[in-house]
Amino acid sequence: MSRKLFVLMIIGLLLLTGCTMPVQTGSINAAGEWEPDRSIEVIAPSAAGGGWDTTARMLARTIDEENLSDQGFGVVNKPGGGGAVGWAYIHKRNDPHNLFISSPPIHFVKQNGQSPYGYDDFTPIANLIADYGAFAVRDDARWDTLGELFEEMKESPENITVVGNSSPGSMDHMQFIMFADAAGVDITKIRYVSDQEGGAMTGVLNGSIDVISTGVLDAAEQARAGKMKVLGITAPERLKGDEFLETLPTGREQGIDAEFIVWRGIFGPPDMTEEQLTYYEDIIKETSESEAFADIRNRYGWDERFMDSEEFKDFLDEQSVEIEALLKELGFITE
Amino acid sequence: MFEGIAQGFQVAFSWEAILFIFIGVFVGTIIGMIPGLGPISAIAIMIPVTYSMDPTIALVMMAGVYYGSMYGGSTSSILLNAPGVAGTVAASFDGYPMAQQGKAGKALAISAIASFVGGTVSVILLMLFAPVLASVAIIFGPPEYFALMLLGLTAIASLSEGSTIKALISAVLGFMIVTIGIDAQTGTSRFTFGSVNLLDGVDFLVIALGVCAIAEVCFLILNRKQKLSGLHNIGSLKLTKEDFKEMKGPMTRQSFIGFILGVLPGAGATISSFVAYISEKKMAKNPEEFGKGSIKGLTAPETANNAATSGAFVPLLSLGIPGSGTTAVMLGAFLVLGVQPGPLLMTENPTVFWGIIVSMYLGNVFLLILNLPLIPYFVKILKVPRPLLISLVIISSLIGVYAVSFSTFDLYLLVVFGIIGYLMRIFAFPAAPFILAFILGGMMENALRQSLTISGGSWDIFFTSPLTLSLFALTIIAIVVPAWRDRVKRRKGKDTPLGL
Repeated sequence: MSRKLFVLMIIGLLLLTGCTMPVQTGSINAAGEWEPDRSIEVIAPSAAGGGWDTTARMLARTIDEENLSDQGFGVVNKPGGGGAVGWAYIHKRNDPHNLFISSPPIHFVKQNGQSPYGYDDFTPIANLIADYGAFAVRDDARWDTLGELFEEMKESPENITVVGNSSPGSMDHMQFIMFADAAGVDITKIRYVSDQEGGAMTGVLNGSIDVISTGVLDAAEQARAGKMKVLGITAPERLKGDEFLETLPTGREQGIDAEFIVWRGIFGPPDMTEEQLTYYEDIIKETSESEAFADIRNRYGWDERFMDSEEFKDFLDEQSVEIEALLKELGFITE
Repeated sequence: MFEGIAQGFQVAFSWEAILFIFIGVFVGTIIGMIPGLGPISAIAIMIPVTYSMDPTIALVMMAGVYYGSMYGGSTSSILLNAPGVAGTVAASFDGYPMAQQGKAGKALAISAIASFVGGTVSVILLMLFAPVLASVAIIFGPPEYFALMLLGLTAIASLSEGSTIKALISAVLGFMIVTIGIDAQTGTSRFTFGSVNLLDGVDFLVIALGVCAIAEVCFLILNRKQKLSGLHNIGSLKLTKEDFKEMKGPMTRQSFIGFILGVLPGAGATISSFVAYISEKKMAKNPEEFGKGSIKGLTAPETANNAATSGAFVPLLSLGIPGSGTTAVMLGAFLVLGVQPGPLLMTENPTVFWGIIVSMYLGNVFLLILNLPLIPYFVKILKVPRPLLISLVIISSLIGVYAVSFSTFDLYLLVVFGIIGYLMRIFAFPAAPFILAFILGGMMENALRQSLTISGGSWDIFFTSPLTLSLFALTIIAIVVPAWRDRVKRRKGKDTPLGL
């Protein structure tokens, strides 16, 4: 009995882990269109439950439910190194049946030297959605606008501490730096604390830290409850669709010429043919336009922002240049 | 609020909810029991299952998976010395020796009852004080966390059998290993030797399974001729009146302490289980029994880690702040279902908020009635012929590590730490301080450097808050009092080895 139990356990355990597929290239049909050989693997380079994972799963689910492809789209998690492990995997396999979801960290991780691969080592297929950052303070803080905060930071930057969930030189830090820079603050003097264990919000709520730089939904939830106020969001214009979110001011309307879009898009392996690219681009466009996906966007508070491959690539080039300049000024990149 | 609680009962006692709570705790216990798999893997495995479920029912189930796996996790700690999560490491200190002495059944029964009590008491506390506790959860800033970690470190002295110097060397080794990876405060990679695989540092599972399970397996293989009579003996799971008497004290105290530490984000089940262990050892009349199969030594961490698991729901539900790696995955599960935990959850979504809390009563009862009758079957695993058992532990450790990181590199690391753990064992370097330093080291360094960034480099920040000062005072007491007591004892002519 115990032996049987043991064998069953082993089999069960083996089922929990996946197997690696051989690299295949697909084929071109009579109409000159690319056809995949097998199901598509959408990699979320993070653990289950994060932003990348949710986007990947919702994308896969919509494609499946709306019958947008003959092939199944399955999500695989490859966490590690803030995405670097997943990127290395895709780059090495270079299989057109592997896609991955990414967002601005692909710039930061590469430029901070934590991954040999950046966005330009892959094929940007399309952008799907956008999200934005927010800067918030405790409800009883002495600043009511971004302008007031940055004015004080210009005079005495050492009095104000900023906290974020990501490490210095990464997203939460750099979105704040972008806005502070545009407002004329000496960005080399900004005190940034990183807390990856959930202490960022705690620190601001208990008053040990002044400002949090985080995602809009995170900050809005606290602001809605009257515990914090959102000084500004990084969107180019006010958000729509939710009464409360509509009240959050952008940086632009406060005279700070900066924006930071937390895009989430789909990339493919480095060497993709024109036909393969078109195949995926079409599927993602149809997904983005479907009603089912519109519901999903509403549910998660995502903004619609489809960009085709070309537009997406230009956008990434631009964002990359801007980030690189700031990272250089802060000394994260040395030549 | 009472209306909310009533709604919670309505949700949790619907047939659908009862069914899914049961499924949740059942799956959680089973996954938790597999050596190497803990709450993180359990929740991550279950997230995709919830995508098309009703959010409230799904979350009630996920909560069940979470505390169920905590409950089940101690089984592999006790029977095989293979903890799947940091919170059950302390349970192996006395649980594994008990199993080796042929009291595996009893050890599991103690663990089940202690877990039940810790879980239930903390759910009651959670229900009564949830609205108020949100403000308790944020009183700790970086300096306070630093002081708390320092207090936790005093456990090293308590955990060392024999040479204190060797315990300290072990701890330093743990501190060194935890510095590997991207430095959170500067974003620089440290000691990664250019390898992408080391950027996230060494995972806790690799350390725990390496120095506990794999090292133990090496030991068993190399000493295979030696007869371990106890290991095949399961013993009765009946607890005597005396046993209950032993358990009563730790269960009462540690339910409260565990809960409060669980409420603090970052402290959680791990720290509370260690604090429970050392505080009971300090209070015990015969502390020398600890580490050799003491009932108190098993009851304390088992009560505390389950109490802390409910406590961890306070910052998660009422602030939207995940206090640990596990609750961060749990937060992910909430977001995937379109539920944003935070200060508004209780008022805007009372069915979810109270539904989860009330469901934990049921879950704890299910766990008890599910576990107690099954103990005789669980312990049969020890009757598996030793070569098979050893291969089972090796394989499931490998799978456990792979299921978290999906990286073959981590498997090599596991083997390396297994060898290190074995060598430490041969040369009598205790493993517990190594693991403890590894767990506390990262948080402690972060808290220290965050504090200094906030203060602009001034150390005054550690001496301005009454909370930090009291924690420092406790730290000093924890170091000085035992040393002083030993000295007094020695003067009186009683023989007590100081170790130094």
